[in-house]
Amino acid sequence: MTVRAVLERAVHAIERWQVLDAPGYQVEHGLSLTFLLAGRRARQLQDVLHGVWFGHPLHPALVTLPVGAWSAALLLDGLDATGRGGPGTGRAARTVVKLGVGGAVASAATGLTDWQHAHDEGRRVGLVHGALNSTALALYTWSLADRARGHAARARASAAAGYAITLTSAYLGGVLSYRYRLGTDHADRRNEPRRFTPVLDESDLVEGRPVAVDADGVPLVLVAGDAGVQAVGGICPHQGAPLGEGWLHQGELVCPWHGSRFSLDSGEPAQGPATAPLPCYETRTRDGRVEVRRRARWRTPTAVTTVEEASR
Amino acid sequence: MKADDVLTAHHDVLRGLLRDLAGTTDAQADRREELREEFLRQIEIHAQIEDEIFYPAVPDVSPLLSLAHAEHRQIDDQVATVLRTPVDHPQFVAEVRMLEATVRHHTMEEEQRMFPQSHALGDARLEELGRQLQDRQRELARSGGMRLLIRLKRATLRLTRA
Repeated sequence: MTVRAVLERAVHAIERWQVLDAPGYQVEHGLSLTFLLAGRRARQLQDVLHGVWFGHPLHPALVTLPVGAWSAALLLDGLDATGRGGPGTGRAARTVVKLGVGGAVASAATGLTDWQHAHDEGRRVGLVHGALNSTALALYTWSLADRARGHAARARASAAAGYAITLTSAYLGGVLSYRYRLGTDHADRRNEPRRFTPVLDESDLVEGRPVAVDADGVPLVLVAGDAGVQAVGGICPHQGAPLGEGWLHQGELVCPWHGSRFSLDSGEPAQGPATAPLPCYETRTRDGRVEVRRRARWRTPTAVTTVEEASR
Repeated sequence: MKADDVLTAHHDVLRGLLRDLAGTTDAQADRREELREEFLRQIEIHAQIEDEIFYPAVPDVSPLLSLAHAEHRQIDDQVATVLRTPVDHPQFVAEVRMLEATVRHHTMEEEQRMFPQSHALGDARLEELGRQLQDRQRELARSGGMRLLIRLKRATLRLTRA
């Protein structure tokens, strides 16, 4: 059996493990309560942790800290154990283990915040990922305490066990990103339509009510309001929710699934969990029909901008 | 009564309370407090009977459970915002309307998508679930634990208003 087949089988086992759903929702309720205690700032706090200010999730960036620090610790422990490290190696190992523990706590905070909104299989794999990481964190914390007490050999053993668990869990983290696409941008960013394309009769628009339309296969949302007719992408960048089923709150478009809010002027997320902006479109009205065209990001709206288009 | 009919009837109660609440004027502070209180009570009961009885019964016939959970969470967060907003605040009605839109979307999704999917369970099972839902609903409406939970939640939200 290939390595891939073995790993695949393990991941499939977790995906189908529906008994994880009940504890998963319990954990989420606990998180929800914790955030309630943070008061009105709970929303901002979650947005910081999601990475709304950053443009993509913060979690994958932060996890490099524990993984990197603990890799260094493994090397230093190895040198120390075989007597090739020279003086100060043990102390250096202790410092990087400590750095990793700090990074792991920050990673856990961001990871839990993102995980709250995962669905089905991704949610189950995420729960196992979190449980493994917590185990690794506990082992490294124990290892740190042992280092202070002078139990050098036991400290190295628990750190090595923690490292093995961390790598296993990192694989699951990869599954969450690359298979379930948690944290990736789900918006439809095709460079279409390049020319103004009629999508709807102006008389079909109701002020302040989002309408889903299709522009040459690109799903969009139109909103009529004080700023005229505005058009943004119809797929939420967070997890692909149909934004045409959303509504307006304080002039922002609200995602019906997880409550992200988007500015209609810039497409920027005013509130997470979405971290990426919505694509925006130009609109005009001709003969009572609303027409849309992609907003030019490079030279002109009709310019050929991708390899794919150039090869057509 | 079948499960989906029981839940739809309760949805009507929830939507009605929010419609009434959004229709109040700034002068009706007491009425606002009263309706907000009643909505909080009903939504807690509703979420609990769905979580305990209906949702665990449908995973094999509906793929929408995760969405339903996500929407409950969104409703929960917006309920918290409404509870933290003083009834005489200029944003009060806007926040209630936001809650109304959230609840409308969630209930319509259930009524138009999930409930028809649940019919695959068969009438007998739906009747049985309906009975369980009604019994639990009545039980929770009388329960001291539920009253305590709501009081605790309200107090916590007020304390953390800043």
